Amino acid sequence: MFLTRAATLTTVTALAVPVSAQDLITRSRVGPEDAESSMSFRLTAYDLYSSDPEMKAAFEELFTDFITARPGWKIETQIATDNINQEQARLLEQARAGRGPDCAMIDSSQLATFKNAGVLTPMNAHFSDAQVADLFPYVRDAVTDADGDLLAWWWFTDLRVLYRDASVIPDAPQTWEAAQQAGLASVEEGYEGLLFSAGRWEGTTFDWLGNYWAQGGRLVDDAGRPVFGEGENREKFLNAVRYYKGLVESGAAPGRVTTISGYDAMNAAAAAGSAALFVGGNWQYDQLRKTLPEDTFANWEVSELPGPTADQRATGTGGWTIGALSDDPDKVRMCAEMIQEIYSGEGNAVQGLLPTSAAQYEEYDAFEGPQFDLFAEALENGQARPGAPVYPEISNQIQILMGDVLSGAAEPEAALDQAFEASLAAYDRL
Amino acid sequence: MADRPYLWLLPVALLLGAFYVVPVADVVRLSFSDATLLRPADSFGLQSWSVTLGADGLGGILWNTAEFTLLSVLGLQLAGLGVALLLARGDRRGLRGMTVLRTVVLAAWVIPGIANGLIWQMLFSEAPFGAVNSTLALMGLPRVAWLSDPGNAMLSAVIANIWQGTAFSMIVFYAARSAIGPRLYEAAEVDGAGAGAQFLYITLPQMKGAILVNSVIVTIQTLNTFDSILALTGGGPGRATEVLSLHIFNLVFTNFDLAGGSVLALVLVAISTVLTLIYIAVLAARR
Repeated sequence: MFLTRAATLTTVTALAVPVSAQDLITRSRVGPEDAESSMSFRLTAYDLYSSDPEMKAAFEELFTDFITARPGWKIETQIATDNINQEQARLLEQARAGRGPDCAMIDSSQLATFKNAGVLTPMNAHFSDAQVADLFPYVRDAVTDADGDLLAWWWFTDLRVLYRDASVIPDAPQTWEAAQQAGLASVEEGYEGLLFSAGRWEGTTFDWLGNYWAQGGRLVDDAGRPVFGEGENREKFLNAVRYYKGLVESGAAPGRVTTISGYDAMNAAAAAGSAALFVGGNWQYDQLRKTLPEDTFANWEVSELPGPTADQRATGTGGWTIGALSDDPDKVRMCAEMIQEIYSGEGNAVQGLLPTSAAQYEEYDAFEGPQFDLFAEALENGQARPGAPVYPEISNQIQILMGDVLSGAAEPEAALDQAFEASLAAYDRL
Repeated sequence: MADRPYLWLLPVALLLGAFYVVPVADVVRLSFSDATLLRPADSFGLQSWSVTLGADGLGGILWNTAEFTLLSVLGLQLAGLGVALLLARGDRRGLRGMTVLRTVVLAAWVIPGIANGLIWQMLFSEAPFGAVNSTLALMGLPRVAWLSDPGNAMLSAVIANIWQGTAFSMIVFYAARSAIGPRLYEAAEVDGAGAGAQFLYITLPQMKGAILVNSVIVTIQTLNTFDSILALTGGGPGRATEVLSLHIFNLVFTNFDLAGGSVLALVLVAISTVLTLIYIAVLAARR
């Protein structure tokens, strides 16, 4: 009798716990529905609402612990779409009109726009000076303003690297010329050659910019005015464009690169066994590990993006920040605490996303492995996109230029003139 | 009450005013301003009109729009007419499965534009495992650069648009074909007219009104299409498939140029309005 009751009780408890956890987290809320206080939070669909069940479960646990420790509070979640430009523009418009969420994820490339618009509330009171000091320099510069106010927290960063199947290309290409030779070698082996993005999307510009930055080129001056089409920058820009053009014209890269507008295309090609070399993001390492058979994945290695010379290297660094858009001190505190307890550190480890402070690499076992050593080394040459409101249009113009040049519709010089002129016109309007 | 209709029309006028007239009026206001998505309007004038309409790339975009619209409208008319006549013939012969066929064609119509673009992106993929190219290769035919070649990319966008929009044309033409009296065809058969002659001298003249009306409606629909192109090519390679509606989207959400986007939105409204007036004129002439 006792055993039966105990078993019943155990069963009821076991059933009750998950039901309770499920009640706490819905598609639009974290916490009890009738909680007195609430903070709205706009987030991307890659963590709490991830399609990956493991990821989703890990973040549900983190959010459940967080909200349980704060009785009387709930988080009203708003999922942002994948269209980053549109989504961030809409968020900014809402924030300026006072209709934005209390706390939101902001793409690092758009952070300057939000800072300039004056919609971010400082979070200095909730982060120590030591925490801020431990951020990578380019991260610290981006999240603070001239007065030293901490306007957002850049919780993970990323970088662009060269992936290669070492069974086809044993040595990592260090220079542009070596990359072209490697691409041609892979074509001879029956592969597609060097794959990279050249379609109409942000990745096309960002993945390519490392080639321009490696020569010391600048997109905008200190005032945020485009300068990439004039002076020394012009020649550096053209060099980097000609590098890509040479890859396609020589057959080291397929013409279809102008249709690649997402990293999934590289993963798919690797999984199909048609790619042996591609430019991708650091996060794809884990995706490949999960996608490819173990023995196939063992052949894949990462290296720094090739440069014009082996000594000239750069890679674009991106990632996401979280900022408080509310004036309510309690909501700002809630936002800051959520960053510290869920995203920065724990969230990085769960997702394998690169932390923005050196100390966190030591703190979590998740960042052990040769690939993380390479990422850390490459981050030394990391460069963030310029925090200028005109950057999205510069990026748009580079995407157009790349498609025109690589499809043979325009010569690099004429395409650059057009892109530069359009960027200057956009700068004047903004 | 009959001499005071305005009182009864007031609720409708208020509703339409709130949801249609006010937003359009705001777009007109913005078009004469220097507003961006980052800051509200500071001054008003004609500058945004002159800058936007004088922009270098606009000519190419208008050409793309005309090309996309013309090819799409032609394709939509032909495909819609073909399917409608096939269905009518099937109905007349009492063939089974006509309802299923209608439903299958309509299924493409209810698919969102973004999904349509993604479906065709997968089909037209130029990777070694791309669906259409793999099929061509199996048949011993050469692979086609569906999306990376600027000329082919526009054709691919048109095909995707026709695939999705055929159902609407089919409905219009099927209704018009069903309304043609069977006695006309019976009399033609008695006179010895073949299928081709019947089509040319009975079906087409009888469906002239429907063809004209459908032309205008699908033209307006096509002019406003941007979501499927956004997903299929993003407007690329380069600007090869960037049509006016997609350009407006890019201008506002990438360039943050609210004033310029408003100018071009009004241009699009003007083009659509002219076509709507033609539509009204056609209807009036039919009466």
